[in-house]
Amino acid sequence: MLSGMKEVAELLNAMRDAGVIREYALFGAIAQMRYTEPVATLDAEVLVAAPSPQTLELLKPIYEFCAARGHGPEGEAIRVGAWPVQFVPVFSPLTQEALEEAETADFEGIPLRVVRADHLAVIALSVGRAKDFARILGLLESSSMSREQVARLAARHGLADAWTRFETRFLND
Amino acid sequence: MTETRKLLERQGAWQKGRAALTWPEKIHMAEAVREWAAQLSRARSPMTAAVSASRRPGIGEVTTREAKKDN
Repeated sequence: MLSGMKEVAELLNAMRDAGVIREYALFGAIAQMRYTEPVATLDAEVLVAAPSPQTLELLKPIYEFCAARGHGPEGEAIRVGAWPVQFVPVFSPLTQEALEEAETADFEGIPLRVVRADHLAVIALSVGRAKDFARILGLLESSSMSREQVARLAARHGLADAWTRFETRFLND
Repeated sequence: MTETRKLLERQGAWQKGRAALTWPEKIHMAEAVREWAAQLSRARSPMTAAVSASRRPGIGEVTTREAKKDN
């Protein structure tokens, strides 16, 4: 039997291979755990890109693809084994870049695309809730990225002021 | 350095050591926490009742018994 996340990985790869999506990458807490201590999370979040720029409706074919494999909706997610999986279409140049530049990790023998640490941090910065700030601090502590890297990426995506405020509040003594 | 401080430092280092686990290991830990939360949620009704029964009323709260007495 597949473990929870292995089942998710196989589904995502199959979805891409079938052309339902052009690409995917895990982000959120599941991606964060690649770099930090484990954290509690109740769902898995996946960035997805449409197979072509002309695609107007991305989520419907995803739901149909999952339903055909026995994975039904659960709230705003689709239940895949142990995990409710939330599919999030790329919604900004930042998330588009995070998806394009994601890394392919090995999850117990199955390739699984995951957003890089610096993109995770800047996405968290753009969202700006308390748990997002905690995520940035955790990623910095893990040394999976540097402050300078985050500053450059934040500036490139119009978040220089937000990063300065974050540094002032949490990092500068 | 006090014994307590040394203990806290050892505990902190032990917790941070979990960051060195593999990604699948960490996700399996999160899955175990999810399962625990789901079990808790399934058992919520009786547990809520038990917790409510054993809980002292907060300031300004009226217990069911007091409410009945007043009526």
